[in-house]
Amino acid sequence: MTALEHIPAEKIVRALADAAERWSDADFPPRVRITDRIAERTGYSVPVVEYALDRLFFPIRRANLESTIRSELGSLEILDDFTQRTGRPDAWAAPCGNVCIISSRTTIGVALVPAVFALCAKNDVLVKDREDALVAAFFETLTEELGAFRAAARSAAWSSQDDAAHALDAFDVVAAFGDDQTLVAIRNSLNAGARFIGYGSRASAGYVARESLSSRENALVVARGAARDLVLYETEGCLSLHVLFVEKDGALSPAQFGAILAACIEEANVEFPIGRRSAADAASISAQRNLGAFRAAADKGAVFAADSADYAVIVDQPPAEPPQFLPRTVGIVAVEQPRDAVRYVRQHGLLLEGFALSHGRTDAVQAVIAAGAVRLTQFGELQHPPLEGGHGGRPRIAEFVRWIDRTL
Amino acid sequence: MTYRAEAQALDAELLQCVGRRAVPNFNDLALRIFAHQLRYNEPYAKYAASLGVTLDAMPPDWERIPPVPAAAFKEAALCTFDPACAELVFETSGTTQGSSGQHYMETADLYDAALIAGFGDAMLSDVNEPLRYLLLVPNPAQRPHSSLGYMMRKVADVFGDGQEQWYLEGDDLRVDRFIRDCERAERSGVPLCIAGTAFAFVNLLDELRRRGVADLRLPSGSRIMETGGFKGRTRVVERAELYAQIASLFALPPDRIIAEYGMTELTSQYYDDVNRTKTAPPWLRPRVVGPDGKTLPTGDVGALVHVDLANRSSCVAIQTEDLGVRTSDGGIMLIGREQGAELRGCSLDAEQLRTLAAR
Repeated sequence: MTALEHIPAEKIVRALADAAERWSDADFPPRVRITDRIAERTGYSVPVVEYALDRLFFPIRRANLESTIRSELGSLEILDDFTQRTGRPDAWAAPCGNVCIISSRTTIGVALVPAVFALCAKNDVLVKDREDALVAAFFETLTEELGAFRAAARSAAWSSQDDAAHALDAFDVVAAFGDDQTLVAIRNSLNAGARFIGYGSRASAGYVARESLSSRENALVVARGAARDLVLYETEGCLSLHVLFVEKDGALSPAQFGAILAACIEEANVEFPIGRRSAADAASISAQRNLGAFRAAADKGAVFAADSADYAVIVDQPPAEPPQFLPRTVGIVAVEQPRDAVRYVRQHGLLLEGFALSHGRTDAVQAVIAAGAVRLTQFGELQHPPLEGGHGGRPRIAEFVRWIDRTL
Repeated sequence: MTYRAEAQALDAELLQCVGRRAVPNFNDLALRIFAHQLRYNEPYAKYAASLGVTLDAMPPDWERIPPVPAAAFKEAALCTFDPACAELVFETSGTTQGSSGQHYMETADLYDAALIAGFGDAMLSDVNEPLRYLLLVPNPAQRPHSSLGYMMRKVADVFGDGQEQWYLEGDDLRVDRFIRDCERAERSGVPLCIAGTAFAFVNLLDELRRRGVADLRLPSGSRIMETGGFKGRTRVVERAELYAQIASLFALPPDRIIAEYGMTELTSQYYDDVNRTKTAPPWLRPRVVGPDGKTLPTGDVGALVHVDLANRSSCVAIQTEDLGVRTSDGGIMLIGREQGAELRGCSLDAEQLRTLAAR
């Protein structure tokens, strides 16, 4: 028996959406109180944090939640009781029971969406919260909307070292974000029958087709989007742009596109100011910039970067080199065709999340699917996965329910 | 003046400086060496020109000499001469991309003189008799292009008792032999100098612990040289913790454990002083720079640039990604790269991705 088990799913969804709507207001006092704390924890500038909170809470709307549930489970009512299904046995999408969501190494509110869907499925949910206590604050609002959430939605803070010790064997489902080592450690501390949902390390990429380089105007549209995909969250997210493939033989060369991209990054830096940056990152970015300049001096590629190393665009990065994985830094790999991008991804063992495409050319689409991407989108949208879509190639709610068939 | 005459004159001047342990005209000499490199080291000259520095637009002082990024050694033969004629070729590590670069040196004389002077002053100032060298570094017989192996071969030849031993064979550490040789030295009272990379010491300590060996007392006057760090390694141990374990195992006072800091792209080395500050010989000067390449005030953390006059035949100024601070006494302290610090992202672990990609 879970705390939400006897509450209609429709009522739960409404409460979740209402709470999220309150959090969508930048002047909502709990959000105001927490914004600086998030900025302090992440090092991101306040405009970036505000943007992230908007992007987090705006999509959590009743219509979006319900359409996702219907799409994955067939109906909303199936969360409440046995429901007839055409050509299949009656079934009930019952709660799994206790769900734990561990997100120690994430940007802003990554655990919140899985928590929302786990609650829609009427589970008792514990979220490992961060120092900024964003999840705890949201759960407070949730409880104001519907008292039953007080028992159903809990958050707590603990260190990574304590993941295994935190009685993880008491949970029926554990969703975890982290590096492979962390995920293995967590998985090994679960009950054999528990469901494990792991979100491991991922990178994202972009592909600029020569059709998009037919004019400066076309290239500018792509570059503006790519710049946004790069700078948001300091290139730290799995959906940040980490490497960019640009086709040769367009009207504009990869180097010309690099120059346009650099200008767009400078614009994006105004909208999304750079946050706190470590000396190590600054040193690494400047080293990449200087190496790019060294190559450029030898007529190999080009580099566009600020003296302050705020950002760097390295054109004609040798295919033997992996992505930089540094804030606001991207290498442009010049390619003849999409297969070259696939080869690069495989050569460097990159596990892909998203792939931005400037053009829906069939060979490009097929290639990025072959490369392992689980999300294809246009530039500028890489960091905005729709709530109604999957996450990391997985469904949103289906893994938080226990299917019970009835053929009585 | 011909290239050969110019190179020989500079080398002779540098050898004199090394012999005297003094470079009274550091700035002037640095600029002359840089000018020499602009004339004869084409890739470096092109890079400098791209930054607006040429023979006609020379920097006003040694601190403005444009440093070449260390990774550039993987891009081009950065030398003032035909690399086919190099007396020494050292390979840089391939920790980031799996590929390595080469540091070509025209003559061994300068390298040998600089390393012997630096090692002698930092490690052996109180020593009156030859030490026995037990070496946990690559054996040059197996790894002829390891600068560390070459260095310790030379040191053992010059300062050793002729019975040096090498314990690293490929990736394997010959622990049995090491224990036996330590015990033999203890019985005979011959003081030892054990030199190894931090990672080799960690492996040694792990293996000794596994075997239940907690005490390998060394003869009086023995010492340890640690170098190399943990680049590319998954197991990292705090240096203070490592030194405490080494001191305990070998029953050595902590001041007998001295860290050397060097890199293949340099000819000269830094050594710890008693305050664990890295100090350079007079012909090597560090700068700590910000992202714009400008020198940071004392105490600010930034990237390290080394101006090594003994790099006469390659590049006099090298920029690294190593972090450090300049100390008030002119030395540097290395700052860790916050390994294991928070790495964020919706599942992104940058360090892991870098590691994966480097495989």
